[in-house]
Amino acid sequence: MLSRVAESLFWMSRYFERAENTARFLDVNFNLLLDLNKISLVENPNYWIALILVTSDRDSFNDLYNEYTARTVTDYLVFNRNNPNSIISCINLARENARSVIESISSEMWEQVNKLYHFLQSSAPQTVHTDPSGFYKEIKNASHLFQGITDNTFSRNEGWDFIQIGKYLERSDNVARLIDVKYHMLLPENRSREEVIEDSEDIIQWMAVLKSCSALEAFRKVYLSKIDPETILQFLILDRTFPRSINFSVCAAEDALWRISGSSRHRYVNNADLLIGKMEAELSYTSIDDILSKGLHNYLEELEERLMKIGEQVHLTYFAYHTPEIEPTEIEEALPFTGIGGGRAIWSQAQQQQQQ
Amino acid sequence: MIRFFEQYKAETDRFFDEVFSSNGNPRVHYDKLLHRFRQFSPEDIKARREIINIFFRNQGITFTVYGVDEGIERIFPFDLIPRILPADEWKTIERGLVQRITALNEFLFDIYHTQKILKDKVVPAELILGSKHFAREFVGVNPPLGVYIHITGSDIIRDRNGSYMVLEDNLRTPSGVSYMLQNRQAMKRAFPVVFEKYKVRPIENYPQELLRTLQEISPPSRREPNVVVLTPGIYNSAYFEHSFLARQMGVELTEGKDLVVNDNRVYTRTTRGLERVDVIYRRVDDSFLDPLVFRPDSKLGVAGLINAYRKGNVALANAIGTGVADDKVIYSFVPKIIRYYLGEDPILENVPTWLASNPSDLKYILENLGSLVVKSANESGGYGMLVGPESTLEEQEKFAEMIVANPRNYIAQPTISLSRHPSFHNDTDLYGCHIDLRPYVLFGKTITILPGGLTRVALKRGSLVVNSSQGGGSKDTWVIDE
Repeated sequence: MLSRVAESLFWMSRYFERAENTARFLDVNFNLLLDLNKISLVENPNYWIALILVTSDRDSFNDLYNEYTARTVTDYLVFNRNNPNSIISCINLARENARSVIESISSEMWEQVNKLYHFLQSSAPQTVHTDPSGFYKEIKNASHLFQGITDNTFSRNEGWDFIQIGKYLERSDNVARLIDVKYHMLLPENRSREEVIEDSEDIIQWMAVLKSCSALEAFRKVYLSKIDPETILQFLILDRTFPRSINFSVCAAEDALWRISGSSRHRYVNNADLLIGKMEAELSYTSIDDILSKGLHNYLEELEERLMKIGEQVHLTYFAYHTPEIEPTEIEEALPFTGIGGGRAIWSQAQQQQQQ
Repeated sequence: MIRFFEQYKAETDRFFDEVFSSNGNPRVHYDKLLHRFRQFSPEDIKARREIINIFFRNQGITFTVYGVDEGIERIFPFDLIPRILPADEWKTIERGLVQRITALNEFLFDIYHTQKILKDKVVPAELILGSKHFAREFVGVNPPLGVYIHITGSDIIRDRNGSYMVLEDNLRTPSGVSYMLQNRQAMKRAFPVVFEKYKVRPIENYPQELLRTLQEISPPSRREPNVVVLTPGIYNSAYFEHSFLARQMGVELTEGKDLVVNDNRVYTRTTRGLERVDVIYRRVDDSFLDPLVFRPDSKLGVAGLINAYRKGNVALANAIGTGVADDKVIYSFVPKIIRYYLGEDPILENVPTWLASNPSDLKYILENLGSLVVKSANESGGYGMLVGPESTLEEQEKFAEMIVANPRNYIAQPTISLSRHPSFHNDTDLYGCHIDLRPYVLFGKTITILPGGLTRVALKRGSLVVNSSQGGGSKDTWVIDE
């Protein structure tokens, strides 16, 4: 398949997943504040700064707003078009990518992307503030529906595998970020682990982390009511059966990569396969104690770094296909990965073409 | 029940009406259609309109209107009443087009080789050599089969007496063929019964015919030619059509960045490596095709493409530099061109044309701006034109200035009252809308013309401009067997 088509499918899927995860973070944060019964403290900046940290663009946020409040953070993460990771930007990009491969996807998939796009275009910030959970539920459901439609209408060919890789790489990255930030907030250096477990407010916060991954019920089935940070981390990072855990997502991405290249265990044919195989193996043979003794933050940071490397290798292997003697492509030129390259210049030139 | 056609005013004293002759009776080939439509109630029409709207929306049949920042996608307006062409009239159009396209192709071959017609002073050399579409780089290059214009779509109109005339030759990248195909599908879905009464000649094989034509121009050494469509991308107004044609032909839709040239061969970049390309149906303008030869800032083209083409390793449809022959100034020479190369009289007439570059014509144009249609020689899509009778004095003055400043760029024609065809207004009543006809001509080893084409309708009441960018719509077009 054309590299560009593969790339657009990958990014369409990735942006959709990113939008869904952002909606989850925001939804849970609202709920959390209600759970804590701190309505008066809804504006407490600490609870909102965390969301900006998850998407890690604190500087660009500070350029636009003076304070971390429900309103500013929601505006930035949902509606701001200058924030490339806002929900509206992600869905715009998912749609642009879908449009550029419209002949390769099913018309039902296209309709679903379109529907969410129009929903967001017509949503006013006010509706989010009056009914946040309704609004975020709409987005989550739209994403689920899109995945279900894809599952039922898209042939299981290479394109399908690129869609899976995009989705699961994005998901493992997002979960890693979420845990990292919450862990920072909940486990400050100066508090002992016992102290944290005692504190019921923190338990509620950890439950919120699970909820944002739709993991609370699945978690309870495994660990009953034993909610403590270790078991939660064990579940979100290492569980092999829960579809939003890091380990599960990495396994799923690995499967898809291997289907494309024909790699198998102990036999890889390119760097992307090598790196994902290594990560999967390590996740499978790591215990939560290994992770904690390394330091959770260090562990997660490294994990995010390595996920990014895998993304780069996928790009170099399949999308930026080049033969060095024809055009030596520097990886910097191949970046940034958005799927839609060229932006404004292409836009204006494409319009100039005289279609008689 | 509303009798749609009984309330319709044909105004045959002012216009040529496609359905009703001047005595007020319907033309024979419309009899059965009228009979059918008489049985429809407004509710029937509404229901069928709904079927068609859903059909178009689901297919995503949209076009983009320029001038708005992000570009707005709209459904292409469709009129429910088909236009019917009797077999004998169609035969004349067909013969006329074959003649015209053959002559224009010879003309292109000549001006890119020996330039005999310029030496014989039938066409002034400065008009060709000074044209912005003349591709100097391309002189002496032999396109496969000697064909330059593989896909064309001439615009044909009828004047007050109903004679068919060519208004414009579109020899670069004519668009709209996807609407022709979709209109037919929509009609079949909404009015199956009406179809049964007529022997409508099929057009559904267009994608196969197009593919065959493209395969025919492939480099001869390539057994199973790999054909691709080259699109400027999703921001182009005709992107829907590009993806539609690629899907219908079963070939890849590519953008410039999907293609790469190595050792004068063109390849697509795929997830499995490079794949050789033999024929490119390109919907990108000449000047954007290859940044090494034309505009260096082009983001839509492929570096090295033109050299690969010159070497004969890849075929382009249409060839480079065909715009020089569909320029509105050259248009006025087409009857002479036909006589020069074929020794025949033109079967399809031209619309009389005054050239602003010609001093006596210029004087006439400036004195009669209020009654003429003035067109810029190189624009298309209904942009850059002045419709005299519909213009204000201010607009006329502005155009006069532009014409005097750059006479080579302007021509003028009398305001032709295009023929009219009953069309629905709000699905409740009918009124006469001006129409034209764009048949699509394929030229490979032979010339193939699909029976019919796209009938464009100026749906704005009284308007003469049929372009989709200016509020036009379209109709299904039926060529019927005897």
